[in-house]
Amino acid sequence: MKNRIPHIGLVLFILVGILPFALAFIYALLYSFGIVGVVNTGFTFKFWLAVLHSGEFFKSLIYSTSIALVSMIASVGGALWITIKFRQNLEKKFLSFIAYLPLAIPGVATGFFIFQLLSKGGFFARISYAVGWINEATDFPDLVNDTFAFGITLAFITMVLPFFVLLFLNVFKNERLDELSILAQSLGATRRQVVRRIQLPILLKKTRILIVLYFIFLLGSYEIPLILGQESPQMLSVLIIREIKQYDLDKISEGYVVAVLYTIIVSVAVLLLFLPKRKNALL
Amino acid sequence: MTLYKSLMIVLIGFVCIACNGDAKKEDDEWLKKEPWEQISKKATGITVNFMMWQGSPVVNDYINNYVAPTIKREYNIDLKISGGQGPEIVQLVMGEKQANVQNGQVDIVWINGETFFQLRKIKGLWGPFVEQLPNTQFIDFDNTYINTDFQQPVDYMECPWSINQFAMVYNSAKVSSPPKNLRELEAYVKKYPGTFTISNDFTGMTMLKSFLAELAGGPKALDGPFDEEKYDILSKQLWNFINVNKAYFWKEGETFPKEQSKMNQLFANGELYIVYGFNEGGIEDKVFSGLYPKSTKGYPWENGTIRNTNYLGILDNAPQKAGAMQVINFLISPEAQFEKAKADGMDANTVLDLSKLSEAWQKKFKNAPQRKYGISMEKLKAHAMQEPAPEYMIRLYEDFRTKVIEK
Repeated sequence: MKNRIPHIGLVLFILVGILPFALAFIYALLYSFGIVGVVNTGFTFKFWLAVLHSGEFFKSLIYSTSIALVSMIASVGGALWITIKFRQNLEKKFLSFIAYLPLAIPGVATGFFIFQLLSKGGFFARISYAVGWINEATDFPDLVNDTFAFGITLAFITMVLPFFVLLFLNVFKNERLDELSILAQSLGATRRQVVRRIQLPILLKKTRILIVLYFIFLLGSYEIPLILGQESPQMLSVLIIREIKQYDLDKISEGYVVAVLYTIIVSVAVLLLFLPKRKNALL
Repeated sequence: MTLYKSLMIVLIGFVCIACNGDAKKEDDEWLKKEPWEQISKKATGITVNFMMWQGSPVVNDYINNYVAPTIKREYNIDLKISGGQGPEIVQLVMGEKQANVQNGQVDIVWINGETFFQLRKIKGLWGPFVEQLPNTQFIDFDNTYINTDFQQPVDYMECPWSINQFAMVYNSAKVSSPPKNLRELEAYVKKYPGTFTISNDFTGMTMLKSFLAELAGGPKALDGPFDEEKYDILSKQLWNFINVNKAYFWKEGETFPKEQSKMNQLFANGELYIVYGFNEGGIEDKVFSGLYPKSTKGYPWENGTIRNTNYLGILDNAPQKAGAMQVINFLISPEAQFEKAKADGMDANTVLDLSKLSEAWQKKFKNAPQRKYGISMEKLKAHAMQEPAPEYMIRLYEDFRTKVIEK
């Protein structure tokens, strides 16, 4: 009996955290090879070949990665700048409350909000029309459902940037960066050197894992690209759901192929990023 | 070892739960032969689950404030509504079939030909049951728009509920004479660039079917089974037409709205001057609610638009089939159909053949409130065409993506 108790946590973790995911993955894998599925007839490579052949998956992968990357760079960069520049102001209650606010808004609402503001019939278009900058609704620039995913990127930034501001502020406090900076300055470091050699490296090093996880989160996000994206290329989750819900039931398995590919790529990337460092740490 | 053991126990438990399923459902075949009185007797004091599209306030109002209370009062049946249309219904049925669920969550589904085709394919529907319903005496099953759905015989596997036609919609304050054929559409988009688009969904594909029939030379040109050769020739012309002109479409044809509701929004905020849709364009309630301007009008497409019926089906694993039959029979009764046809309410054309009704009912239907803004199905009669075989839809979806959107 005694031996069992320490395992309970582990069993629960496997049960709640890993088992459902593993089962879903196996199901998707079987579906992608036509082994399960009401209209599927048996093992076949045809869905994999169709997906690899069409190239849509890779287009979508590159598109999603670019959007997530740009959004992360802008968010983390912006958050660093805000934290380092306006730290004192942000410690006031009211401002930190404002920073919390976007975190409480769900993705769907953010998506709609951006759409209402930036579409050709939206808030800014109406103001521009009223002021006389544009003559027709269609003169307003394409900012949502657009080729360069401006709307999606902006929505991501509004969601992610405040989070990182709060995170960096906490790290700043916990790592006693203020004291370290004063120390460095008293030893003769310039203001610039303090930022570049002490504050930035510590902030980034302490939040590295979260930055990567947030990137993966953006890579797989669904609602925002659904509302603000265009029809082609689409971000990965939108593509997967579209394939799985498509009218041609014979091709539903192609959606599962995309889901399996996406899962494998993300898992491998995560393993590559985190595993070697852990080994070093253990050593 | 202990960890391994505990994990195995949990896993085995999990597998047992997964395989267990539920008890074998009772045999419902007798319902197909039994006299109505027997079926009716069985269908009382139960709960019937109805999965339907809940995207319109007037539809919800009709169901929640008229149908559900009346059914409770008259038959002592609790009608539970859950939201879901086409793909959700198909997903649900596929999931339940996969898991071998004998007593499903849903009894009745509201479907159109697209979903009917998919559900038939996965054997998701129960029937034939329609002939058993007493109120079918008021329906004309010789009408091809009722007995044929996407060129497939309905075979009493689904019960007609409303009939409607696809119509064009335009803003008369912006456009004086809207295009009625492809030649005029080409001139129109050049005159009013950015004000027309094709939604990448059921509605948009239905519009493309009308275009395809026009290219083929007439409203009946696509009737009959799917013809690959014909499709290849016609669709090539269609994609060519769209690709040549799409620079004048909404957003220069670089992207297309995902669905009709988005297209409707674009019409409401003045980006688009022309849209289209089923239910004779679906104008009435949108003008009443202030979404569409009062200058909105419906009009026919010269070569014809699709007229079709939407239906009620009973799922193969429905736990309350008798109750479902009772509810469906009520939904096609003259009183329920009359209530549904009111232009200031759900505004859905009745599937009943008025000549089969009593004189009192005929009079009532004729004196019902008429539409103020939308065009009537009667006026579109000369421009009606049948829904072509489902394969046209499958191919249009796929090719519209690969040959237009991704180009």
